[in-house]
Amino acid sequence: MDILTAIFVTPFSEIVAGPVFFLEVVVSGLLTGIMYSLVALGFVLIFKASGIFNFAQGVLVLFAALTLVGLMERGVPVIAAIPLTMIVMIVLAMLVEKLMLRPLVNQDPLILFMATIGLSFVLEGLGETLWGSNVKRLDIGIPEDVWQVDVGDKYMLLNSFDVYAAVTGAILVVGLAVFFHKTPIGRALRAVADDHQAAMSVGIPLRTIWVIVWSVSGMVALVAGIMWGGKSGVQFSLSLIALKALPVLILGGLTSVPGAIIGGLIIGVGEKVAEVYWGPAIGGAIENWFAYALALVFLLFRPQGLFGERIIERV
Amino acid sequence: MPDTPEESRVAATDATLDTLPKLLLDRAARSPDRDAIREKDLGIWQAWTWREYRDQVRAFACGLAALGFKRGDRLAIIGDNRPQLYGAMCAAQALGGIPVPVYQDSVAEEMQYVLEHAEVRFALAEDQEQVDKLLEIKDRCALLETLIYEDDRGLRHYDQPFLHGFAQVQARGREFDASNPGHFEAEVAKGRGGDVAIILYTSGTTGRPKGVMLTHDNVVITARNSAAADGLRPDDEVLAYLPMAWVGDNIFSVGQAFVTGFCVSCPESGATVMHDMNEIGPTYFFAPPRIFENLLTTVMIRMEDASALKRKLFRYFMAHARRVGVDILDGKPVSFTDRLLYRLGDVLIYGPLKNTLGLSRIRIAYTAGEAIGPEIFEFYRSLGINIKQLYGQTEAAVFVTMQPNGEVKPDTVGKPAPGVEIKIADNGEVLYRSPGVFECYYKNPEATAETKTADGWVHTGDAGFFDADGHLKIIDRAKDVGKLNDGSMFAPKYIENKLKFFPEIKEAVVFGQGRDYVSAFVNIDLEAVGSWAERHGMPYSSYQDLASRPQVLDIVQECVEKVNADLAGDERLSGSQIRRFLILHKELDADDGELTRTRKVRRNTVHERYKVLIDALYSDAKRARVETEMTFEDGRKGTIKGDVEIRDARTHAVLAKAS
Amino acid sequence: MAKERTNGEVLLDVDNISLSFGGVQAIQDVSFDVLRGEVRAIIGPNGAGKSSMLNCINGFYHPQKGTITYKGVKRSQMRTHEAAAQGIARTFQNIALFKGMSTLDNIMTGRNLKMKVNFLLQALYLGPARREELEHREFVEKIIDFLEIQAIRKTPVGRLPYGLQKRVELGRALAAEPELLLLDEPMAGMNTEEKEDMSRFILDVSDEFGTTIVLIEHDMGVVMDLSDRVVVLDYGKKIADGTPDEVRTNPDVIDAYLGVAHD
Repeated sequence: MDILTAIFVTPFSEIVAGPVFFLEVVVSGLLTGIMYSLVALGFVLIFKASGIFNFAQGVLVLFAALTLVGLMERGVPVIAAIPLTMIVMIVLAMLVEKLMLRPLVNQDPLILFMATIGLSFVLEGLGETLWGSNVKRLDIGIPEDVWQVDVGDKYMLLNSFDVYAAVTGAILVVGLAVFFHKTPIGRALRAVADDHQAAMSVGIPLRTIWVIVWSVSGMVALVAGIMWGGKSGVQFSLSLIALKALPVLILGGLTSVPGAIIGGLIIGVGEKVAEVYWGPAIGGAIENWFAYALALVFLLFRPQGLFGERIIERV
Repeated sequence: MPDTPEESRVAATDATLDTLPKLLLDRAARSPDRDAIREKDLGIWQAWTWREYRDQVRAFACGLAALGFKRGDRLAIIGDNRPQLYGAMCAAQALGGIPVPVYQDSVAEEMQYVLEHAEVRFALAEDQEQVDKLLEIKDRCALLETLIYEDDRGLRHYDQPFLHGFAQVQARGREFDASNPGHFEAEVAKGRGGDVAIILYTSGTTGRPKGVMLTHDNVVITARNSAAADGLRPDDEVLAYLPMAWVGDNIFSVGQAFVTGFCVSCPESGATVMHDMNEIGPTYFFAPPRIFENLLTTVMIRMEDASALKRKLFRYFMAHARRVGVDILDGKPVSFTDRLLYRLGDVLIYGPLKNTLGLSRIRIAYTAGEAIGPEIFEFYRSLGINIKQLYGQTEAAVFVTMQPNGEVKPDTVGKPAPGVEIKIADNGEVLYRSPGVFECYYKNPEATAETKTADGWVHTGDAGFFDADGHLKIIDRAKDVGKLNDGSMFAPKYIENKLKFFPEIKEAVVFGQGRDYVSAFVNIDLEAVGSWAERHGMPYSSYQDLASRPQVLDIVQECVEKVNADLAGDERLSGSQIRRFLILHKELDADDGELTRTRKVRRNTVHERYKVLIDALYSDAKRARVETEMTFEDGRKGTIKGDVEIRDARTHAVLAKAS
Repeated sequence: MAKERTNGEVLLDVDNISLSFGGVQAIQDVSFDVLRGEVRAIIGPNGAGKSSMLNCINGFYHPQKGTITYKGVKRSQMRTHEAAAQGIARTFQNIALFKGMSTLDNIMTGRNLKMKVNFLLQALYLGPARREELEHREFVEKIIDFLEIQAIRKTPVGRLPYGLQKRVELGRALAAEPELLLLDEPMAGMNTEEKEDMSRFILDVSDEFGTTIVLIEHDMGVVMDLSDRVVVLDYGKKIADGTPDEVRTNPDVIDAYLGVAHD
């Protein structure tokens, strides 16, 4: 009886009793959610353009962050280190195309998936060899204050770093949307995502497109790496946030950019709210498994995700 | 607004501006830089200002003059609504000539009749399709000398000497103008209000088309009166999408535009009208009921595909709109909460809906031509769209009656338009007299005498009466109101309209004159019923296939029985409940002569062609076989066979006067 | 009139080509040429090797034997997008459009090869890239106007009926301003009216732009109306080559088509 009350009554009465605190929880969930979205976005981009489920996306985040920190540790100022890292990511994309995608063209998706697993080990090893394996602090000068936002007669607390991160994430997402839908290259990317053969026959060079997609994915990984790394330090576990991106993908659909974004937000908010309000009843640490439980529910009832294309072939 | 309503009112009353070309010159002088007419070309709206409009007209008129076009000559104009075609019309008028617009979907024979009858020497065609038709009939039209085309696509290899491009004619015109300065102005100045401005061929329900001759006075005075009555303004927006050969287009897109100075927009193509409407956002709009019905059907079909939440919201707010929307539009008292809820609905549903329909800026919309379904009418009005009915005829330069703002009823056609007198003859026929009344039918004094009395009264051929508020109510064609064998009244159109108000029914023809009971042919609406069939997982291959399904017959039967219940409520009409009906195996088609070009049923043709089916309706037969000739879109003829099921519908005893 | 289309210059010369997949001989020692400006049809019963032939010209397949000379240059292993770059555009038997994209975007992709502005500028969509995009847009609008598909400009092509998709695909091929247009059964699955529309467009393309067209078609009536010269394939071999009238009366052709429904 008590447990039922703790699950079905107490949390809601707490929400009603303290709306400002609830808002605070939701906002912090949203801020984390944007980070999830960013990582998921990297997956979606590559999957759409090349049909590859890129297992190395998480490591890409780690690699980008490691490179940035490594450069800064060697005395390169932030202003130069970020563009340099970008160039490294583009070179990486070219190498991936040349050494991995090109030899494996027209292979089964599963083989390509295996190749990305291999890639993740290579990148991890490469990163640690180049930049060392100890935990590093990443500080690119984003202030970490606590802001008080007035809400009526009360106020809520916000971490300024989270806000900056969220705004950057949002700008990146908007930028990508514009890039995809308003520019000729974006159109070519969508064309390749839609139908490889047809894209080739109108003269769209697949390989160039792959390089672009992996580069863009690398940029997204860099932003995600900066944000996550700034929060919790740059270390191997950074590559594990890719695991958090999986439920986001299941929620949002593997082929949908808006899906990745909204999926990330839902999971961010969901796990925070669940942790704070239902944690006491269930015993805490909900945050660690909430996303997967939600993903399971989705797999049962809506396997194509919120925005994924319906898996109905029109004859 | 620099171009004030005052200014346009000056123009509207200036009696020296008695012809359309004079009005155009006046517009070009007073508001040269305002947009006059625009068209979407290569995806972009391109406009002519009034000055450019005048210059285009001037160049083409001079070009015509150079080609030997003389006062009184006729210029046939065939094509979709395009600025160049409107310009050519005015150019012919400027030279004292008479434009004869021809329906662009006419087949060659129909076109030949009009061109021969109107003794046309010059013809302007929009594109290759129309040029090909003209070339086909040219040898048979002895007087036809010169062909001009607007769009040269596909015409590169045509080398006939009598064929000229629109732009070349204009170029020649500019040379002519340079060597004959003042010719254009002099010709325009010669024009008088009493001159014939246009000949419009009406594809009447019977017999050959008749050429209605309207004078400049007819068009200009009618346009002035009606524009004043509705308070039309220079900033109104109009979409010119109905055929140029139809009288309404001449009033709405030409007469009223010249008189008030508003801008007319021509759609990119026939198929893009919906998009173009959405982009232009007309404020003043005319459409026959059919188009309003189609729009509504599209909305309903889209809603069926929408998410459950959207559907619920839509239903909820539409129900609310039905309850209070019309009263809000008419300025009647409505409770505060209802108003608030209506506002909310406007944000969530009505606004977006009106926007997709391209109707969000409408100030005045008219429907006419035939009766509109009361549900459809109320649907639009409840959304806050000021749609009104008018009753008009080509012979009247459109306006006979119109519904004034705030006095709109679904079942009447309104009060006499300004300057119009109306009387009802003993047999119930409506007669009118007005400044818009046509001169005569071209080369057809018998028909003129039959229609127009010596003192200017015109027989409408429609039976009707005035209700207590002075609104005219039309029941049917005067000659079509007949009797069943038992002597009870039979008004076929009235019943047909009731049937057609169901979205599933596209066309209906009922029989009963001199019979024991009423029976009906029905054409289902392929779009509405087709989408129903799709939703119910019922694949079908063609109209004929779908029309023969028992489930479809069930749907139609339900409609028929609802109509019967309705008719049973009226003492005089209860005798004409539909006893038997069938769904025709093919759609009635203008190409087969079963409908007029304005899509009205040609009763006689239907009687002849489907005699077998009519006989079957008045026997005990459960099925009937029929073979009909039909014309395909490419003009080839073929036959279509059908095995049609005949159903009996439930009828009701006369209800005691309940309502 | 048809004869006036060409000036006699050979645009494409297929010389003694053979192509096999494993043990299956798809094309065997086939030679024919295509003159600049003409409409050339390839006909033959199902499995005659027509589509394979188109795929060879297009660079999808590489024949094991024989040469293809295009614009006077003998071609070795050429990839599809290189063929496209040299002015060869094509449509597919089973429409290969980008189903999720609008008609406009689909046709715009056909302009891809015409985009000259620097890659980086394009990615950032700055100045010259934007201006170039507008020029391409204008060209594409002309095609939209030409094919009378204004009403479906913004509609995702996946939602269009089959006949219109075929028209959009033709539009995308035309957007590349090809010198050689390959049409693989442009009228398959169409009704009479749609076929007539498509025939008119194909003839207009030939007349207005002077494009050389090679088409595969089943409907003999269409082929006879449209083409200047016809190649007939049967089981991978050429059995006839000539004007429609010559081919129609050729006894081998009549044999090959015996029992095959045609009108």
